[in-house]
Amino acid sequence: MESGIGNRNRIRYSASDRVFFLINGIFWTVFMFIIVYPLYLVCIASVSDPSAIVAGKVIWRPVDFSLVGYNAVMKYQEFWSSYLNSFIYTFSSVIISIAVTLTGAYAMSRPRFPGKSAINMYFVITMFFSGGLIPTFLVMKDLGFYNNPLVMVLMGCVSVWNFMVARTYIQTNIPEELYEASALDGATHFQYFFRVVLPLSKTIIAVLAVYYGVAKWNDYFTGLVYLKNRSLYPLQTVLREILATLQVDMTGDFMTTMSDDAANIAEATRIANVSKYCIIVLSTGPVVILYAFMQKYFEKGVMIGSLKG
Amino acid sequence: MTGTGGRKRSLPERFARSLQNHWQLYLLVLPAIIYFFIFNYLPLYGIQIAFKDYKAVKGIAGSPWVGLKHFQQFFKAYYFNRLITNTLLLNILNLLFSFPVPILLAVMLNQVRHQRLKRTIQTTIYVPYFISTIVLAGMLYIFLSPSSGIFNFARQAIGLQPIDYMSQASAFRPIYIISNIWQTAGYSTILYIATLTGIDPSLYEAADIDGASIFQKIRSIDLPTLVPTAMMVFILDCGKLLSSNTNKVLVMQTSGNIPTSDILGVYVYTVGLGQGQFSYTSAIGLFVNVINFVMILLVNTISKKSADIGLF
Repeated sequence: MESGIGNRNRIRYSASDRVFFLINGIFWTVFMFIIVYPLYLVCIASVSDPSAIVAGKVIWRPVDFSLVGYNAVMKYQEFWSSYLNSFIYTFSSVIISIAVTLTGAYAMSRPRFPGKSAINMYFVITMFFSGGLIPTFLVMKDLGFYNNPLVMVLMGCVSVWNFMVARTYIQTNIPEELYEASALDGATHFQYFFRVVLPLSKTIIAVLAVYYGVAKWNDYFTGLVYLKNRSLYPLQTVLREILATLQVDMTGDFMTTMSDDAANIAEATRIANVSKYCIIVLSTGPVVILYAFMQKYFEKGVMIGSLKG
Repeated sequence: MTGTGGRKRSLPERFARSLQNHWQLYLLVLPAIIYFFIFNYLPLYGIQIAFKDYKAVKGIAGSPWVGLKHFQQFFKAYYFNRLITNTLLLNILNLLFSFPVPILLAVMLNQVRHQRLKRTIQTTIYVPYFISTIVLAGMLYIFLSPSSGIFNFARQAIGLQPIDYMSQASAFRPIYIISNIWQTAGYSTILYIATLTGIDPSLYEAADIDGASIFQKIRSIDLPTLVPTAMMVFILDCGKLLSSNTNKVLVMQTSGNIPTSDILGVYVYTVGLGQGQFSYTSAIGLFVNVINFVMILLVNTISKKSADIGLF
């Protein structure tokens, strides 16, 4: 690999190759701009003056630096209580997800034990057949999951896909010799799993944490369908009413909070407008931070999973 | 591990023995089995209400059977055509436009020679994938707003009238597809980049000796290598042609764009949960699942016959 790159560097590029590099450079400049600019715009608008945004002056950098939006969001109670809910749901759910996925994936990574292919079939079938929204809803309701915060923790906490990725990871990254050596020493599966497999699975644990954590944090639909009590809502379900709508609801909690700081309705609408940018920054922040921290493992782990899975 | 003895054991005996040896493995996989039983297999039992008239007091098992009534009602409904057309068009167009982009990105990224720059690009283009549907929709509403959105400021700057894109039926599909590419294209390159990394460097060296240009190397080494992976992704995508990203469409729907944004998934949600027509919408859900499954089988068979590439 190393020498391959070295060799290519020494090669003198032909004219057509140099044209290609030019095109590639332009291509990535444009594409990176398209990816980054919307995110950048949200960030700079969140710290700009509300009237500058409405006037269309905020394009390349913050205009009339102001924290009016963040101040307003600070006072917005429902945002923070649902923020806390989401943290609790996500944290507990990810712990359960990783525990169930990893133990199961280890068992399924063992070369043979009776009934393994049947169990594997049992998992794969769920990828192709699902009950669908309504039958699932009715069955869950019968089981007592309606308006029960447990549904937010448990639903979707194991995915077959992640299960397969974890199994492939264990199969390809933990040498079989380790198992044979442990088995000779009389180790049981439990002992082998906890003392050998678990310490060697940091990468896949990081990948699972990102996948499960992000999916849980970003999910608004489960809360929308299964929760009746607003105080149980996760963040995204609350945000749906604020962000994903054309009109600002003048009677809602959101607007009442915003108008506390405002002199009149027009001013309140402008503050509400800038607050939306702040809300996006605050709600997406944890996810991006998690990704940034796990990124080192993430790259490696995902490649392994996708290549063999 | 099993059946080490010379004599043949009876089936129950063998089963008991294997439990002795492997009970810890069964115990380790048991939580996952229970999870899928509750959240995937029990809902399958609930599908029967598609053939019943569900009454809350009688429950799933106790409601009376009505045969195919709900299916017939759906096929005859006047919005049947609109729902099917909207769903299929949205997904086919989305597949058509979204599918090639990650392949292009992976091939172009593979040609970035500066390793740190390459890593930076890779890390950055994954980021939109981690943004929630709600926030993405929120950004669309904000940026496309006729009074304070950046798109309309740009339009006004060149002397055009502002347009309320989110209320335009004709703008819905382009917005959905473009935002989908923005969010997922970078992330979807992972699979293709992994495939490209697996190419034997001696292939490139041989091509260099023959004096091949980069473009020629892409055409005769990179692209053929990506075909099996791309086919695999395509087959899986075809299994979703009737079940688009309901979550996203639901939050992008406005009273203005309903003519194009009314799709099966959203209809099942609003009519099923909103109006309590549980049996009727269960029938629609089952219909969608069956079609999706048939589609995946069909494309898999075609791809297997023509290119010998398939999922199963």
